[in-house]
Amino acid sequence: MRETIRAILGLTPRPAPAPPEPPPGPQDPDEPVISFRDVHLSFDRPILQGVSFDLAPGTTKVILGGSGSGKTTILRLILGLLKPDAGSIHVDGADVGHMVEEDLRPVRLKLGMVFQEGALFDSLTVGENVGYRLVEDGNVSEADIEARVREMLGFVGLETFYGRMPSELSGGQRRRVAFARALVARPQIMLYDEPTTGLDPITSTTITDLIVKVRDLDGVTSILVTHQLRDAFNVARTFMARENGQFLPKVVEDLSTLEGTEFMMLRQGVVEFKGTPHELKTSEDPYLREFLS
Amino acid sequence: MASRTQLLILSLGRRFSQQVKGSVLAVQDYVLLTVRGLAALVTPPRYQRELVTQMDSIGVQSLSIVVLTGMFTGMVLALQSAASLDAFGARPYVGRLVCISMVRELGPVLTALMVTGRVGSGMAAELGSMVVTQQIDALRVLGSDPVRKLVAPRLGAALIMVPLLTVISDTVGIFGGSLISIFNLKLSWEFYWRSVGNAMVINDLVMGFLKPLVFGLILSSVGCYMGLNTSGGTQGVGLSTTRSVVVASVTILSSDFFITKLLLILFPVV
Repeated sequence: MRETIRAILGLTPRPAPAPPEPPPGPQDPDEPVISFRDVHLSFDRPILQGVSFDLAPGTTKVILGGSGSGKTTILRLILGLLKPDAGSIHVDGADVGHMVEEDLRPVRLKLGMVFQEGALFDSLTVGENVGYRLVEDGNVSEADIEARVREMLGFVGLETFYGRMPSELSGGQRRRVAFARALVARPQIMLYDEPTTGLDPITSTTITDLIVKVRDLDGVTSILVTHQLRDAFNVARTFMARENGQFLPKVVEDLSTLEGTEFMMLRQGVVEFKGTPHELKTSEDPYLREFLS
Repeated sequence: MASRTQLLILSLGRRFSQQVKGSVLAVQDYVLLTVRGLAALVTPPRYQRELVTQMDSIGVQSLSIVVLTGMFTGMVLALQSAASLDAFGARPYVGRLVCISMVRELGPVLTALMVTGRVGSGMAAELGSMVVTQQIDALRVLGSDPVRKLVAPRLGAALIMVPLLTVISDTVGIFGGSLISIFNLKLSWEFYWRSVGNAMVINDLVMGFLKPLVFGLILSSVGCYMGLNTSGGTQGVGLSTTRSVVVASVTILSSDFFITKLLLILFPVV
């Protein structure tokens, strides 16, 4: 009920202090950039129960599951918007589950988040929305901000929308602007919360192509939360290939050859499945079969 | 049978204690939010642009309703007081009565209530919409502190603009009373304004300035608290808006009593 205000005020229940650990230094390239260890969280009912997983640099994790299975909660925990009741969450070596709001800022600078409906600021123009983080940083000149914002809007194909208000945009355009806003500060990790929900198939493909583009061209590590199987498999089997000097999306038909994408299925806060797209597709588990059908 | 009664009593007791605990927690959150908002006003980084925007929204855009309310209140006050004062042959004291009533009570209270209805509800609706559309989460993810960015400018703007609006309301109300006194009650312009001047003492001004400061803080902090406390989609936004107006209005009226009582002790009327 009072989740937002208590989180803003730093009053969310916190587990016991974490054991002392060495300060985050230069990371081992093989060390996971995101690590969940036996994470539990409950509100009125259990939301997550013993969730553990790792995310290696440059890879993509697709989190699947029905409504209320705890998918979005995982993203909120990574961002430090929620604190776990038990367990540990490390993002690039930082224990975000035990950090106060003020200390989370440098961690959040490494993360880019695309919210479900875009979460654009209604009172700001598209350009101001995209450049928001750079303005808040305070050490980038106005000219550089404008140039970077225009570059990002060009990347998502909305270069002419700079001065428009969010209310003038369609659902798909809002997501693309949210994409540009998340990418503007060149994050190391991108989090996507149901980026294609409520969009038509063509617009959904535009969004999944953007996810692939960011992954393949910039080497960004990503977590995609979705219940749209079609989009999940699109992200897994599509890659950017150079053709006539241009990068174009290509599709791999044979799922067994795919690398770099792991699927994780949640069911009522519990990890039901972890594996490759091929393993998911060929699983004999009745729940997974039902979900895939 | 006895055990069922015991269970019922236990269940009621548990529910009551949860309600009490919830209320205490709500008051704690509200106080903490207000204190953090006020602290953010005087410590960097400050959002000057947001402060000016809020001053425009709370002050300039509320001017018309405050002027109208003040004018008609002053006019009604002159008419009503004349009817009562005539019984004692004290019609010449209309100016004094209108002035004291407007400066001490009606100006601050009515201005605060009008601004609560117009702006306090707007704050709750705006912040509530930001909560349900995840804009508050987005702010935090993008490195902003919502208390500094959203709450502090609203508190600051209300603390500056509500006292200013109250002064305008008082002035317009006393002027409205003068119009009735001259054209309806057949008092002279000079006599009315001299009566107003004689009535005003420093205690009135202290009361007239202190109250709107407190009321401004109440209406803005309640609006922000209710807005940030929104849950349950668009229906929740509507609920927060209604609650913010009700809670702020009742708090303003009840705190008015205690402020008056305190100020009368500190600055007794001679």
